[in-house]
Amino acid sequence: MNKEKIIEVKDLIFGYEKDNTILKCVSFDIFKGEYVTLIGHNGSGKSTLAKLLSYILEPSSGKVYIEGIELNDKSIKDIRSKIGIVFQNPDNQFIGSTVEDDIAFGLENRNIKQDIMKKTVLEFAKKVGMDKFLKKEPEELSGGQKQRVAIAGILALNLKIIIFDEATSMLDPEGVEEIRKLILDMKKENPELTVISITHDIEEAYLSDRVIILNDGKVYKNDIPENVFKDEEEMRKIDLDIPFVLKIKNELKKNDIEIPSSIRTIEELSEYICR
Amino acid sequence: MTNVLGRYTPYNTIIHRLDPRFKLFSLILLMVVVFLPYGNYTNRFIILGLTTIFIALIMIIGRVSFSSFFKSLKSMWMMFIFLLIFMFFLPTNGQYILHQFENGYTLYYDGLLQVGHIILRLILMIALTIILTSTTQSMDITYALEWYLAPLKLFKFPTQIVSLTISLALRFIPTLLNESQRIMNAQKSRGVEYNRGFLMAKIRSITTLIIPLLVSCFSRSDELAIAMEARGYNPYNKRSKYKTLKFSYRDLFSIILILLIAAFLITFSILSQNLAGFDDIINYIWKIPTI
Repeated sequence: MNKEKIIEVKDLIFGYEKDNTILKCVSFDIFKGEYVTLIGHNGSGKSTLAKLLSYILEPSSGKVYIEGIELNDKSIKDIRSKIGIVFQNPDNQFIGSTVEDDIAFGLENRNIKQDIMKKTVLEFAKKVGMDKFLKKEPEELSGGQKQRVAIAGILALNLKIIIFDEATSMLDPEGVEEIRKLILDMKKENPELTVISITHDIEEAYLSDRVIILNDGKVYKNDIPENVFKDEEEMRKIDLDIPFVLKIKNELKKNDIEIPSSIRTIEELSEYICR
Repeated sequence: MTNVLGRYTPYNTIIHRLDPRFKLFSLILLMVVVFLPYGNYTNRFIILGLTTIFIALIMIIGRVSFSSFFKSLKSMWMMFIFLLIFMFFLPTNGQYILHQFENGYTLYYDGLLQVGHIILRLILMIALTIILTSTTQSMDITYALEWYLAPLKLFKFPTQIVSLTISLALRFIPTLLNESQRIMNAQKSRGVEYNRGFLMAKIRSITTLIIPLLVSCFSRSDELAIAMEARGYNPYNKRSKYKTLKFSYRDLFSIILILLIAAFLITFSILSQNLAGFDDIINYIWKIPTI
Protein backbone atom coordinates (compact mmCIF):
# COMPACT_ATOMS: atom_id res chain seq x y z
CA MET A 1 0.00 0.00 0.00
CA ASN A 2 1.45 3.33 -0.97
CA LYS A 3 -0.78 5.25 1.37
CA GLU A 4 0.41 7.76 3.90
CA LYS A 5 0.89 6.38 7.41
CA ILE A 6 -0.99 8.48 9.94
CA ILE A 7 -0.64 6.41 13.08
CA GLU A 8 2.20 4.08 13.81
CA VAL A 9 2.18 1.89 16.90
CA LYS A 10 5.51 0.28 17.59
CA ASP A 11 6.20 -2.51 20.09
CA LEU A 12 3.80 -1.12 22.63
CA ILE A 13 4.02 -2.74 26.06
CA PHE A 14 1.89 -1.74 28.97
CA GLY A 15 1.02 -3.08 32.38
CA TYR A 16 -0.67 -1.48 35.36
CA GLU A 17 1.66 -3.59 37.50
CA LYS A 18 5.20 -4.48 36.55
CA ASP A 19 4.95 -8.23 36.23
CA ASN A 20 1.43 -8.22 34.81
CA THR A 21 1.49 -6.74 31.34
CA ILE A 22 -1.81 -6.19 29.61
CA LEU A 23 -0.38 -5.28 26.22
CA LYS A 24 2.49 -7.46 25.09
CA CYS A 25 4.30 -5.90 22.19
CA VAL A 26 1.56 -4.48 20.00
CA SER A 27 2.52 -3.03 16.61
CA PHE A 28 0.37 -1.86 13.73
CA ASP A 29 0.02 0.99 11.27
CA ILE A 30 -3.01 2.99 10.34
CA PHE A 31 -3.17 4.82 7.05
CA LYS A 32 -4.74 8.11 6.12
CA GLY A 33 -8.43 7.86 5.35
CA GLU A 34 -8.85 4.38 6.75
CA TYR A 35 -11.68 3.16 8.92
CA VAL A 36 -10.13 0.67 11.28
CA THR A 37 -11.91 -1.21 14.03
CA LEU A 38 -10.07 -2.66 16.97
CA ILE A 39 -11.91 -5.54 18.53
CA GLY A 40 -11.28 -8.11 21.19
CA HIS A 41 -13.18 -9.75 24.02
CA ASN A 42 -13.16 -8.37 27.56
CA GLY A 43 -9.68 -8.21 29.02
CA SER A 44 -7.96 -8.36 25.66
CA GLY A 45 -6.45 -4.96 26.30
CA LYS A 46 -8.44 -2.97 23.80
CA SER A 47 -9.60 -0.26 26.18
CA THR A 48 -6.06 0.06 27.51
CA LEU A 49 -4.88 0.50 23.95
CA ALA A 50 -7.48 3.22 23.44
CA LYS A 51 -6.17 5.07 26.48
CA LEU A 52 -2.62 4.73 25.22
CA LEU A 53 -3.54 6.07 21.78
CA SER A 54 -5.13 9.15 23.33
CA TYR A 55 -2.28 9.43 25.83
CA ILE A 56 -4.45 9.12 28.89
CA LEU A 57 -2.02 6.38 29.90
CA GLU A 58 1.69 6.34 29.24
CA PRO A 59 3.18 3.18 27.69
CA SER A 60 5.67 1.15 29.74
CA SER A 61 7.75 0.84 26.61
CA GLY A 62 7.25 1.23 22.89
CA LYS A 63 6.11 4.25 20.95
CA VAL A 64 3.11 5.74 19.25
CA TYR A 65 3.66 8.11 16.33
CA ILE A 66 0.95 10.34 14.99
CA GLU A 67 1.78 11.87 11.64
CA GLY A 68 5.39 11.07 12.39
CA ILE A 69 5.38 12.88 15.74
CA GLU A 70 6.05 10.78 18.81
CA LEU A 71 3.37 10.85 21.45
CA ASN A 72 4.86 12.22 24.67
CA ASP A 73 4.32 14.87 27.32
CA LYS A 74 5.62 17.65 25.09
CA SER A 75 3.80 16.80 21.91
CA ILE A 76 0.49 15.92 23.53
CA LYS A 77 -0.99 19.41 23.20
CA ASP A 78 -0.20 19.50 19.51
CA ILE A 79 -1.50 16.03 18.98
CA ARG A 80 -4.72 16.63 20.89
CA SER A 81 -5.48 19.23 18.24
CA LYS A 82 -5.22 16.51 15.59
CA ILE A 83 -7.15 13.74 17.30
CA GLY A 84 -10.72 13.82 18.47
CA ILE A 85 -11.96 11.21 20.88
CA VAL A 86 -15.52 10.10 21.42
CA PHE A 87 -15.67 8.44 24.82
CA GLN A 88 -17.80 5.68 26.19
CA ASN A 89 -20.05 7.49 28.61
CA PRO A 90 -22.39 9.91 26.81
CA ASP A 91 -23.06 11.92 29.98
CA ASN A 92 -19.51 12.50 31.08
CA GLN A 93 -18.40 14.11 27.85
CA PHE A 94 -21.33 16.48 27.52
CA ILE A 95 -19.70 19.69 28.67
CA GLY A 96 -22.04 22.44 27.55
CA SER A 97 -25.43 22.86 29.17
CA THR A 98 -27.23 22.65 25.82
CA VAL A 99 -26.55 20.91 22.53
CA GLU A 100 -25.27 24.06 20.84
CA ASP A 101 -23.05 25.01 23.76
CA ASP A 102 -21.53 21.56 23.74
CA ILE A 103 -20.78 21.59 20.03
CA ALA A 104 -19.30 25.07 20.47
CA PHE A 105 -17.05 24.11 23.40
CA GLY A 106 -14.14 22.91 21.28
CA LEU A 107 -14.50 25.91 18.98
CA GLU A 108 -14.44 28.28 21.95
CA ASN A 109 -11.20 26.66 23.07
CA ARG A 110 -9.74 27.48 19.68
CA ASN A 111 -10.75 31.10 20.07
CA ILE A 112 -12.86 31.13 16.92
CA LYS A 113 -14.93 34.21 16.14
CA GLN A 114 -18.54 34.15 17.21
CA ASP A 115 -20.22 34.59 13.82
CA ILE A 116 -18.13 31.82 12.27
CA MET A 117 -18.80 29.66 15.32
CA LYS A 118 -22.58 30.09 14.97
CA LYS A 119 -22.47 28.92 11.36
CA THR A 120 -20.17 25.99 12.14
CA VAL A 121 -22.31 24.80 15.04
CA LEU A 122 -25.43 24.81 12.91
CA GLU A 123 -23.67 23.10 10.01
CA PHE A 124 -22.35 20.24 12.08
CA ALA A 125 -25.52 19.87 14.12
CA LYS A 126 -27.25 19.36 10.78
CA LYS A 127 -24.67 16.78 9.74
CA VAL A 128 -25.43 14.60 12.74
CA GLY A 129 -29.14 15.32 12.51
CA MET A 130 -29.34 17.28 15.74
CA ASP A 131 -30.22 20.70 14.30
CA LYS A 132 -33.74 20.53 15.73
CA PHE A 133 -32.37 19.97 19.23
CA LEU A 134 -29.94 22.89 19.50
CA LYS A 135 -31.52 24.34 22.64
CA LYS A 136 -32.08 21.00 24.37
CA GLU A 137 -30.36 20.03 27.58
CA PRO A 138 -28.57 16.69 27.95
CA GLU A 139 -31.29 15.30 30.23
CA GLU A 140 -33.80 15.56 27.42
CA LEU A 141 -31.69 13.55 24.98
CA SER A 142 -31.17 9.83 24.48
CA GLY A 143 -27.74 8.24 24.77
CA GLY A 144 -27.43 7.97 21.00
CA GLN A 145 -28.32 11.63 20.56
CA LYS A 146 -25.74 12.67 23.15
CA GLN A 147 -23.08 10.67 21.33
CA ARG A 148 -24.13 12.33 18.07
CA VAL A 149 -23.64 15.71 19.72
CA ALA A 150 -20.19 14.63 20.90
CA ILE A 151 -19.36 13.56 17.34
CA ALA A 152 -20.59 16.89 15.97
CA GLY A 153 -18.41 18.72 18.49
CA ILE A 154 -15.39 16.80 17.23
CA LEU A 155 -16.25 17.04 13.52
CA ALA A 156 -16.62 20.80 13.90
CA LEU A 157 -12.96 21.01 14.87
CA ASN A 158 -12.00 19.67 11.44
CA LEU A 159 -9.62 17.02 12.76
CA LYS A 160 -7.81 14.35 10.79
CA ILE A 161 -8.28 11.46 13.16
CA ILE A 162 -11.27 10.45 15.24
CA ILE A 163 -11.03 7.71 17.82
CA PHE A 164 -14.21 6.08 19.04
CA ASP A 165 -13.41 4.65 22.45
CA GLU A 166 -16.22 2.13 22.84
CA ALA A 167 -18.58 4.92 21.91
CA THR A 168 -21.54 2.59 21.43
CA SER A 169 -21.13 0.26 24.40
CA MET A 170 -23.49 2.19 26.67
CA LEU A 171 -26.19 2.72 24.06
CA ASP A 172 -29.37 0.83 23.29
CA PRO A 173 -29.55 -1.07 19.96
CA GLU A 174 -31.19 1.91 18.26
CA GLY A 175 -28.42 4.22 19.41
CA VAL A 176 -25.78 1.75 18.25
CA GLU A 177 -27.39 1.65 14.81
CA GLU A 178 -27.50 5.47 14.68
CA ILE A 179 -23.81 5.79 15.45
CA ARG A 180 -22.79 3.03 13.02
CA LYS A 181 -24.65 4.79 10.26
CA LEU A 182 -23.23 8.16 11.20
CA ILE A 183 -19.65 6.88 11.03
CA LEU A 184 -20.25 5.51 7.54
CA ASP A 185 -21.88 8.77 6.38
CA MET A 186 -19.01 10.71 7.87
CA LYS A 187 -16.53 8.61 5.94
CA LYS A 188 -18.50 8.97 2.73
CA GLU A 189 -18.52 12.73 3.05
CA ASN A 190 -14.87 13.08 3.94
CA PRO A 191 -12.75 10.17 2.67
CA GLU A 192 -9.62 11.84 4.07
CA LEU A 193 -10.84 11.32 7.63
CA THR A 194 -9.19 8.53 9.55
CA VAL A 195 -11.49 6.70 11.93
CA ILE A 196 -10.36 4.26 14.59
CA SER A 197 -13.12 2.55 16.43
CA ILE A 198 -12.39 0.52 19.50
CA THR A 199 -15.44 -1.63 19.95
CA HIS A 200 -16.85 -4.98 20.87
CA ASP A 201 -19.48 -4.65 18.20
CA ILE A 202 -18.55 -7.14 15.49
CA GLU A 203 -21.34 -5.86 13.24
CA GLU A 204 -19.60 -2.49 13.20
CA ALA A 205 -16.24 -4.16 12.60
CA TYR A 206 -17.69 -5.87 9.55
CA LEU A 207 -18.53 -2.46 8.05
CA SER A 208 -15.01 -1.10 8.45
CA ASP A 209 -12.08 -1.14 6.03
CA ARG A 210 -9.80 -3.12 8.27
CA VAL A 211 -10.15 -5.07 11.50
CA ILE A 212 -7.47 -5.49 14.11
CA ILE A 213 -8.22 -8.21 16.62
CA LEU A 214 -6.49 -8.06 19.95
CA ASN A 215 -6.24 -11.25 21.94
CA ASP A 216 -4.34 -11.67 25.17
CA GLY A 217 -2.47 -8.39 24.68
CA LYS A 218 -1.25 -9.16 21.19
CA VAL A 219 -2.40 -8.35 17.69
CA TYR A 220 -4.11 -11.58 16.71
CA LYS A 221 -5.31 -10.57 13.27
CA ASN A 222 -4.95 -7.47 11.16
CA ASP A 223 -6.78 -7.73 7.85
CA ILE A 224 -9.88 -6.77 5.89
CA PRO A 225 -13.11 -7.99 7.53
CA GLU A 226 -13.77 -10.78 4.99
CA ASN A 227 -10.49 -12.45 5.80
CA VAL A 228 -10.68 -11.83 9.52
CA PHE A 229 -14.09 -13.39 9.96
CA LYS A 230 -13.56 -16.18 7.45
CA ASP A 231 -13.06 -18.93 9.96
CA GLU A 232 -15.96 -19.17 12.39
CA GLU A 233 -14.30 -21.87 14.49
CA GLU A 234 -11.17 -19.85 14.95
CA MET A 235 -13.15 -16.80 16.06
CA ARG A 236 -15.02 -18.91 18.60
CA LYS A 237 -11.71 -19.95 20.07
CA ILE A 238 -10.90 -16.36 21.04
CA ASP A 239 -14.43 -15.75 22.35
CA LEU A 240 -15.60 -13.74 19.37
CA ASP A 241 -18.58 -14.33 17.18
CA ILE A 242 -18.83 -13.57 13.48
CA PRO A 243 -21.15 -10.92 12.06
CA PHE A 244 -24.76 -11.87 11.49
CA VAL A 245 -24.71 -11.03 7.78
CA LEU A 246 -21.67 -13.20 7.29
CA LYS A 247 -23.37 -16.07 9.09
CA ILE A 248 -26.29 -15.92 6.66
CA LYS A 249 -23.89 -15.66 3.76
CA ASN A 250 -22.07 -18.78 4.92
CA GLU A 251 -25.31 -20.71 5.33
CA LEU A 252 -26.44 -19.64 1.85
CA LYS A 253 -23.10 -20.66 0.45
CA LYS A 254 -23.70 -24.20 1.66
CA ASN A 255 -26.71 -24.18 -0.63
CA ASP A 256 -24.67 -22.79 -3.49
CA ILE A 257 -25.99 -19.27 -3.28
CA GLU A 258 -23.16 -16.78 -3.60
CA ILE A 259 -23.62 -13.29 -2.17
CA PRO A 260 -21.12 -10.62 -3.30
CA SER A 261 -18.72 -9.39 -0.65
CA SER A 262 -19.81 -5.78 -1.09
CA ILE A 263 -23.01 -6.57 0.77
CA ARG A 264 -22.43 -5.93 4.45
CA THR A 265 -25.60 -4.78 6.15
CA ILE A 266 -28.83 -6.60 6.84
CA GLU A 267 -30.78 -4.11 4.72
CA GLU A 268 -28.52 -4.60 1.74
CA LEU A 269 -28.68 -8.34 2.17
CA SER A 270 -32.46 -8.52 2.36
CA GLU A 271 -32.73 -6.25 -0.65
CA TYR A 272 -30.35 -8.47 -2.58
CA ILE A 273 -32.17 -11.64 -1.65
CA CYS A 274 -35.59 -10.21 -2.51
CA ARG A 275 -34.42 -9.14 -5.92
CA MET B 1 -37.40 13.23 39.10
CA THR B 2 -38.21 15.26 36.04
CA ASN B 3 -39.77 18.12 37.93
CA VAL B 4 -36.85 19.28 39.99
CA LEU B 5 -37.34 22.49 41.92
CA GLY B 6 -37.22 25.45 39.59
CA ARG B 7 -35.88 23.57 36.63
CA TYR B 8 -35.62 25.48 33.35
CA THR B 9 -38.74 25.22 31.23
CA PRO B 10 -38.13 25.90 27.56
CA TYR B 11 -40.86 28.41 26.71
CA ASN B 12 -40.34 31.59 24.76
CA THR B 13 -42.02 34.20 26.96
CA ILE B 14 -40.92 37.79 27.53
CA ILE B 15 -39.47 36.77 30.87
CA HIS B 16 -37.44 34.05 29.19
CA ARG B 17 -36.04 36.48 26.66
CA LEU B 18 -34.92 39.09 29.18
CA ASP B 19 -31.23 39.59 29.69
CA PRO B 20 -29.99 37.21 32.42
CA ARG B 21 -27.82 39.94 33.91
CA PHE B 22 -30.90 42.05 34.43
CA LYS B 23 -32.84 39.09 35.82
CA LEU B 24 -30.12 38.34 38.34
CA PHE B 25 -29.98 41.98 39.37
CA SER B 26 -33.75 42.31 39.78
CA LEU B 27 -33.87 39.07 41.74
CA ILE B 28 -31.50 40.48 44.32
CA LEU B 29 -33.21 43.89 44.31
CA LEU B 30 -36.66 42.41 44.78
CA MET B 31 -35.40 40.15 47.55
CA VAL B 32 -34.08 43.17 49.39
CA VAL B 33 -37.38 44.96 48.88
CA VAL B 34 -39.31 41.99 50.22
CA PHE B 35 -37.17 41.96 53.33
CA LEU B 36 -37.42 45.66 54.13
CA PRO B 37 -39.49 46.70 57.12
CA TYR B 38 -42.53 48.86 56.42
CA GLY B 39 -43.59 50.07 59.85
CA ASN B 40 -46.75 48.64 61.30
CA TYR B 41 -48.37 45.37 60.27
CA THR B 42 -51.07 46.97 58.14
CA ASN B 43 -48.41 48.63 56.01
CA ARG B 44 -46.37 45.47 55.83
CA PHE B 45 -49.22 43.31 54.70
CA ILE B 46 -50.41 45.82 52.12
CA ILE B 47 -46.92 46.07 50.63
CA LEU B 48 -46.33 42.32 50.78
CA GLY B 49 -49.74 41.71 49.25
CA LEU B 50 -48.96 44.05 46.37
CA THR B 51 -45.55 42.41 45.84
CA THR B 52 -47.21 39.00 45.91
CA ILE B 53 -49.60 40.07 43.16
CA PHE B 54 -46.69 41.52 41.18
CA ILE B 55 -44.61 38.35 41.54
CA ALA B 56 -47.57 36.11 40.75
CA LEU B 57 -48.09 38.19 37.61
CA ILE B 58 -44.49 37.62 36.57
CA MET B 59 -44.95 33.91 37.24
CA ILE B 60 -48.01 33.84 35.00
CA ILE B 61 -46.26 35.77 32.22
CA GLY B 62 -43.18 33.55 32.53
CA ARG B 63 -45.38 30.44 32.53
CA VAL B 64 -43.78 29.20 35.73
CA SER B 65 -45.57 26.09 36.86
CA PHE B 66 -47.56 26.87 40.02
CA SER B 67 -47.97 23.21 40.87
CA SER B 68 -44.22 22.61 41.02
CA PHE B 69 -43.91 25.81 43.03
CA PHE B 70 -46.36 24.60 45.65
CA LYS B 71 -44.70 21.21 45.64
CA SER B 72 -41.40 22.84 46.47
CA LEU B 73 -43.08 24.63 49.39
CA LYS B 74 -44.08 21.28 50.84
CA SER B 75 -40.56 20.67 52.03
CA MET B 76 -40.75 23.92 54.00
CA TRP B 77 -43.71 23.13 56.23
CA MET B 78 -41.56 21.82 59.08
CA MET B 79 -39.77 25.14 59.16
CA PHE B 80 -43.05 27.05 59.09
CA ILE B 81 -44.40 25.11 62.05
CA PHE B 82 -41.18 25.66 63.91
CA LEU B 83 -41.42 29.40 63.25
CA LEU B 84 -45.05 29.42 64.32
CA ILE B 85 -44.30 27.80 67.66
CA PHE B 86 -41.45 30.15 68.39
CA MET B 87 -43.06 33.36 67.29
CA PHE B 88 -46.53 32.65 68.59
CA PHE B 89 -45.80 31.41 72.07
CA LEU B 90 -42.63 33.22 72.99
CA PRO B 91 -43.38 36.98 72.70
CA THR B 92 -44.16 38.49 76.07
CA ASN B 93 -45.43 41.83 74.92
CA GLY B 94 -47.63 43.06 72.11
CA GLN B 95 -50.60 45.21 71.29
CA TYR B 96 -53.38 42.80 70.55
CA ILE B 97 -54.18 40.34 73.29
CA LEU B 98 -55.52 37.00 72.11
CA HIS B 99 -55.90 35.15 75.38
CA GLN B 100 -54.91 35.72 78.98
CA PHE B 101 -54.11 32.54 80.89
CA GLU B 102 -54.81 32.26 84.59
CA ASN B 103 -51.17 31.95 85.51
CA GLY B 104 -50.54 35.36 83.99
CA TYR B 105 -49.18 34.20 80.65
CA THR B 106 -50.56 36.15 77.73
CA LEU B 107 -50.85 35.19 74.09
CA TYR B 108 -50.70 38.02 71.56
CA TYR B 109 -51.93 38.33 68.01
CA ASP B 110 -48.65 40.07 67.17
CA GLY B 111 -46.80 36.76 67.15
CA LEU B 112 -49.23 35.38 64.60
CA LEU B 113 -48.81 38.44 62.40
CA GLN B 114 -45.06 38.26 62.77
CA VAL B 115 -44.97 34.60 61.69
CA GLY B 116 -47.41 35.27 58.88
CA HIS B 117 -45.33 37.96 57.36
CA ILE B 118 -42.05 36.11 57.77
CA ILE B 119 -43.52 33.06 56.06
CA LEU B 120 -44.88 35.25 53.29
CA ARG B 121 -41.45 36.81 52.83
CA LEU B 122 -39.84 33.37 52.58
CA ILE B 123 -42.42 32.16 50.09
CA LEU B 124 -41.89 35.26 47.96
CA MET B 125 -38.16 34.73 48.08
CA ILE B 126 -38.55 31.15 46.90
CA ALA B 127 -40.91 32.31 44.17
CA LEU B 128 -38.39 34.86 42.95
CA THR B 129 -35.62 32.28 42.79
CA ILE B 130 -37.87 29.85 40.96
CA ILE B 131 -38.79 32.53 38.44
CA LEU B 132 -35.12 33.08 37.73
CA THR B 133 -34.12 29.44 37.42
CA SER B 134 -37.12 28.27 35.46
CA THR B 135 -36.93 31.06 32.90
CA THR B 136 -33.16 31.22 32.51
CA GLN B 137 -30.85 28.51 31.27
CA SER B 138 -28.05 27.67 33.65
CA MET B 139 -25.51 28.68 31.04
CA ASP B 140 -27.06 32.15 30.86
CA ILE B 141 -26.95 32.52 34.63
CA THR B 142 -23.26 31.71 34.50
CA TYR B 143 -22.72 34.22 31.72
CA ALA B 144 -24.41 36.81 33.89
CA LEU B 145 -22.31 35.85 36.90
CA GLU B 146 -19.17 36.04 34.80
CA TRP B 147 -20.21 39.51 33.68
CA TYR B 148 -20.68 40.69 37.25
CA LEU B 149 -17.38 39.10 38.27
CA ALA B 150 -15.53 40.80 35.39
CA PRO B 151 -14.16 43.68 37.50
CA LEU B 152 -12.33 41.09 39.62
CA LYS B 153 -10.18 40.31 36.58
CA LEU B 154 -8.19 43.39 37.54
CA PHE B 155 -7.04 41.52 40.63
CA LYS B 156 -6.06 38.46 38.54
CA PHE B 157 -9.15 36.60 39.69
CA PRO B 158 -9.79 33.70 37.26
CA THR B 159 -13.38 34.65 36.38
CA GLN B 160 -13.45 32.36 33.35
CA ILE B 161 -12.49 29.28 35.34
CA VAL B 162 -14.94 30.08 38.11
CA SER B 163 -17.82 30.60 35.73
CA LEU B 164 -17.04 27.42 33.81
CA THR B 165 -16.88 25.48 37.07
CA ILE B 166 -20.24 26.87 38.13
CA SER B 167 -21.81 26.04 34.79
CA LEU B 168 -20.45 22.49 34.94
CA ALA B 169 -21.80 22.09 38.45
CA LEU B 170 -25.22 23.29 37.32
CA ARG B 171 -25.06 21.09 34.23
CA PHE B 172 -24.46 17.99 36.36
CA ILE B 173 -27.21 18.55 38.94
CA PRO B 174 -29.92 16.70 36.98
CA THR B 175 -27.47 13.97 35.94
CA LEU B 176 -26.50 13.37 39.55
CA LEU B 177 -30.12 13.46 40.71
CA ASN B 178 -30.94 10.72 38.21
CA GLU B 179 -27.91 8.82 39.40
CA SER B 180 -28.87 9.07 43.06
CA GLN B 181 -32.33 7.82 42.18
CA ARG B 182 -30.77 4.85 40.41
CA ILE B 183 -28.49 4.08 43.32
CA MET B 184 -31.41 4.33 45.75
CA ASN B 185 -33.42 1.89 43.67
CA ALA B 186 -30.46 -0.47 43.50
CA GLN B 187 -29.95 -0.28 47.26
CA LYS B 188 -33.67 -0.72 47.92
CA SER B 189 -33.61 -3.90 45.88
CA ARG B 190 -30.82 -5.07 48.18
CA GLY B 191 -32.94 -4.41 51.24
CA VAL B 192 -31.96 -0.91 52.33
CA GLU B 193 -34.96 0.98 53.66
CA TYR B 194 -34.67 4.72 53.32
CA ASN B 195 -37.94 5.71 54.94
CA ARG B 196 -37.89 3.49 58.00
CA GLY B 197 -36.37 3.76 61.43
CA PHE B 198 -35.25 6.60 63.61
CA LEU B 199 -32.48 9.09 63.12
CA MET B 200 -29.50 6.72 63.42
CA ALA B 201 -31.02 4.11 61.13
CA LYS B 202 -31.78 6.82 58.61
CA ILE B 203 -28.26 8.17 58.72
CA ARG B 204 -26.91 4.66 58.28
CA SER B 205 -29.12 4.04 55.26
CA ILE B 206 -28.12 7.38 53.74
CA THR B 207 -24.46 6.34 53.76
CA THR B 208 -25.39 3.54 51.38
CA LEU B 209 -26.44 6.28 48.99
CA ILE B 210 -23.73 8.85 49.64
CA ILE B 211 -20.70 6.59 49.22
CA PRO B 212 -21.54 5.17 45.79
CA LEU B 213 -22.65 8.63 44.70
CA LEU B 214 -19.33 10.15 45.76
CA VAL B 215 -17.36 7.42 44.05
CA SER B 216 -19.28 7.91 40.83
CA CYS B 217 -18.87 11.68 41.12
CA PHE B 218 -15.12 11.31 41.22
CA SER B 219 -14.97 8.98 38.24
CA ARG B 220 -17.33 11.28 36.35
CA SER B 221 -15.23 14.34 37.04
CA ASP B 222 -12.15 12.43 35.98
CA GLU B 223 -13.71 11.46 32.68
CA LEU B 224 -15.07 14.94 32.21
CA ALA B 225 -11.64 16.46 32.70
CA ILE B 226 -10.18 14.08 30.12
CA ALA B 227 -12.98 14.84 27.68
CA MET B 228 -12.46 18.58 28.15
CA GLU B 229 -8.75 18.27 27.62
CA ALA B 230 -9.31 16.11 24.55
CA ARG B 231 -11.42 18.92 23.12
CA GLY B 232 -8.53 21.31 23.58
CA TYR B 233 -9.50 23.05 26.81
CA ASN B 234 -6.75 24.96 28.48
CA PRO B 235 -7.87 27.20 31.34
CA TYR B 236 -5.17 29.77 30.70
CA ASN B 237 -5.74 30.17 26.98
CA LYS B 238 -7.93 32.89 25.59
CA ARG B 239 -11.30 31.46 24.72
CA SER B 240 -13.90 32.98 22.47
CA LYS B 241 -17.56 32.97 23.43
CA TYR B 242 -20.37 31.25 21.63
CA LYS B 243 -22.95 33.56 23.12
CA THR B 244 -22.76 37.16 24.10
CA LEU B 245 -25.46 38.83 26.10
CA LYS B 246 -27.40 41.56 24.39
CA PHE B 247 -29.18 44.30 26.21
CA SER B 248 -32.35 45.32 24.39
CA TYR B 249 -35.07 47.93 24.76
CA ARG B 250 -37.17 45.29 26.45
CA ASP B 251 -34.55 45.06 29.17
CA LEU B 252 -34.28 48.83 29.45
CA PHE B 253 -38.02 49.12 29.95
CA SER B 254 -38.07 46.34 32.52
CA ILE B 255 -35.13 47.70 34.42
CA ILE B 256 -36.80 51.11 34.68
CA LEU B 257 -39.97 49.44 35.94
CA ILE B 258 -38.13 47.39 38.54
CA LEU B 259 -36.02 50.33 39.67
CA LEU B 260 -39.13 52.50 40.05
CA ILE B 261 -40.87 49.87 42.14
CA ALA B 262 -37.79 49.32 44.26
CA ALA B 263 -37.17 53.05 44.70
CA PHE B 264 -40.76 53.61 45.74
CA LEU B 265 -40.73 50.78 48.24
CA ILE B 266 -37.37 51.71 49.70
CA THR B 267 -38.49 55.33 50.18
CA PHE B 268 -41.71 54.12 51.71
CA SER B 269 -39.77 51.88 54.05
CA ILE B 270 -37.46 54.68 55.11
CA LEU B 271 -40.35 57.03 55.68
CA SER B 272 -42.22 54.45 57.66
CA GLN B 273 -39.33 54.29 60.09
CA ASN B 274 -39.74 58.03 60.77
CA LEU B 275 -36.12 58.74 60.14
CA ALA B 276 -34.74 62.20 60.62
CA GLY B 277 -30.99 62.46 60.33
CA PHE B 278 -28.18 60.55 58.64
CA ASP B 279 -27.44 58.59 61.82
CA ASP B 280 -30.96 57.27 61.80
CA ILE B 281 -30.52 55.94 58.27
CA ILE B 282 -27.34 54.12 59.26
CA ASN B 283 -29.11 52.67 62.28
CA TYR B 284 -31.99 51.69 60.06
CA ILE B 285 -29.71 49.81 57.66
CA TRP B 286 -28.15 47.91 60.56
CA LYS B 287 -31.58 46.99 61.79
CA ILE B 288 -32.84 45.47 58.51
CA PRO B 289 -31.74 41.90 59.14
CA THR B 290 -33.33 41.78 62.57
CA ILE B 291 -36.70 43.31 61.84
